[in-house]
Amino acid sequence: MTGSPVIDIRALTKRFGSLTAVDSLDLQVAPGEIYGLLGPNGAGKTTTIRTLLGFLNPSGGTVRLLGSNPRHTSVRRRVGYVGGDVVLDRGLKARDLLNWYADLRGGLDSAKIDSLCEQLALDPTRKIGELSTGNRQKVAIVQSVMHEPDVLVLDEPTSGLDPLLQRSVLDLIRSRRDAGTAVLYSSHFLPEVENLADRVGILRRGVLVREDTMSNLRDIARQRLELRFARDVPADLLAGIDGVSNIEIVDRTAYVLVDGSVAELVKRVAAYDVDRIVSHDEDLEDVFFRYYQDGEDG
Amino acid sequence: MKTGIVLRQMLRERRRGVLWWSVAIAALTAITAASYPAVKDAGSVFDQLMEQMPEGMLELFGAEGGITSPGGYLNSQLYSNILPILLLVYGIGMAAWTIAGTERERTLEPLLANPVSRSQVALERFAGTALLLTVPMLVSTILLIATRSLFELDALGVDELIWVGVGTYLLVLLFVSLTYAVGAATGGRAAAIAVGAGVAAGTYVIFGLSSFVDFFDNLRWLSPWDWFLTYSPLTDGPTWPAFAWPLVVIALAVPVGTAILTRRDLR
Repeated sequence: MTGSPVIDIRALTKRFGSLTAVDSLDLQVAPGEIYGLLGPNGAGKTTTIRTLLGFLNPSGGTVRLLGSNPRHTSVRRRVGYVGGDVVLDRGLKARDLLNWYADLRGGLDSAKIDSLCEQLALDPTRKIGELSTGNRQKVAIVQSVMHEPDVLVLDEPTSGLDPLLQRSVLDLIRSRRDAGTAVLYSSHFLPEVENLADRVGILRRGVLVREDTMSNLRDIARQRLELRFARDVPADLLAGIDGVSNIEIVDRTAYVLVDGSVAELVKRVAAYDVDRIVSHDEDLEDVFFRYYQDGEDG
Repeated sequence: MKTGIVLRQMLRERRRGVLWWSVAIAALTAITAASYPAVKDAGSVFDQLMEQMPEGMLELFGAEGGITSPGGYLNSQLYSNILPILLLVYGIGMAAWTIAGTERERTLEPLLANPVSRSQVALERFAGTALLLTVPMLVSTILLIATRSLFELDALGVDELIWVGVGTYLLVLLFVSLTYAVGAATGGRAAAIAVGAGVAAGTYVIFGLSSFVDFFDNLRWLSPWDWFLTYSPLTDGPTWPAFAWPLVVIALAVPVGTAILTRRDLR
């Protein structure tokens, strides 16, 4: 980490009745850093984020934003937020909502808001209730960055966006990072944060089971590949390749699980007319958690 | 942060709604007032009919003074039932929306991510509710003042009509503030409406049955309807029960609901 953390969660526990949604979570994000918070649905990502923003009270531990209580309006002024299931006032035109929020932030340059809308191809004259899910998401993203926040908290911000738009949103987030913003970005989908996050934390049943830099994690992530051949292949074709396991060959299709690099595998099959290689981005539950499960067992 | 931004936005969004409510209540007021000359002409027959009714019924109708006097007529036909009930429907719906409704539709959280405190959002929206409620009440009162000689209601002074308007408003705002407080404290929209409307209905029943059933008579002093109808501002001017007691309830409910909101988890 480079500076002192602007997002600082220590020993955070959040219980709802008998359910412990987050358990002794420690998480820090420094200025100019993108932290990917990964985990399947129900792992506690949204609870963590809602506590970080001050919408929920911690059952234990502390949560600091920019060194203060997140409920302070002086802190809110410097924070941008996109919630998990975004709902903005449906009766308002997108532009009216953005103006309203801009007023609450003490007035913002309207040219800046216009250019953000343009960048995301959002028509702000439409009523929010009449917009598609993706377009509604864009309104949420614009309001979260329009005041150039020092902290950006995004709970699955690109859900509902098509890949092209996803890319413009990710570009937007990168440019905020380059401007020194600390970004907490939650996702249940590894590839989304793979090329974005500097560090990643993996949350499982409310516990941060692993935290590491993206490059270290990439090495341990396993990929499930499906190789379709143009002709029959020998049953032992894929045997004995480092990192390749769970090999299954049915007719002319091979299913494998690869730890780390696929280079050796590709070399081995090169001579066998591979028609198509399909990568099944596994659910994180499968990819990471089985890994840790194995680690714990073995 | 500047104050009033949340309030201004609420008023802007609810312009059309308050217009329609005002039109409806103006129509109700006008029809009621315009019918008075006919009732007055039929006078003695009505009064004989009323005399045969038990006293409690007359109280429930706000017609102790007889239905054919201007005061008795307006109390029984407007201020003791249909007008406050309509305003309650409008006000309770709005008060339940302020926090609990927006929490449920999930628009409260993105709003609170802005530099604005929970209590500020809550209080500005309660103020907006109180302000919007004055509009139909004002329209009704002004309409009565303007047309009272036309419809032979000129025995009633301007001040009396203003007092009863204020009294009606405070009666309604009392139940509306309970709705607001329960919504803010719990985040439950249904609970907020149930308490606001339930207390309004329950205390109406207590007041209505108090003349017949001793049990309710002992509780009667608890009913805001008793404060407003027994000590009617239309005939008695600004009475303590009709004016001060609702303010006391409002002054307790609003801060308590708001304080709990600032401490609890959002839903």
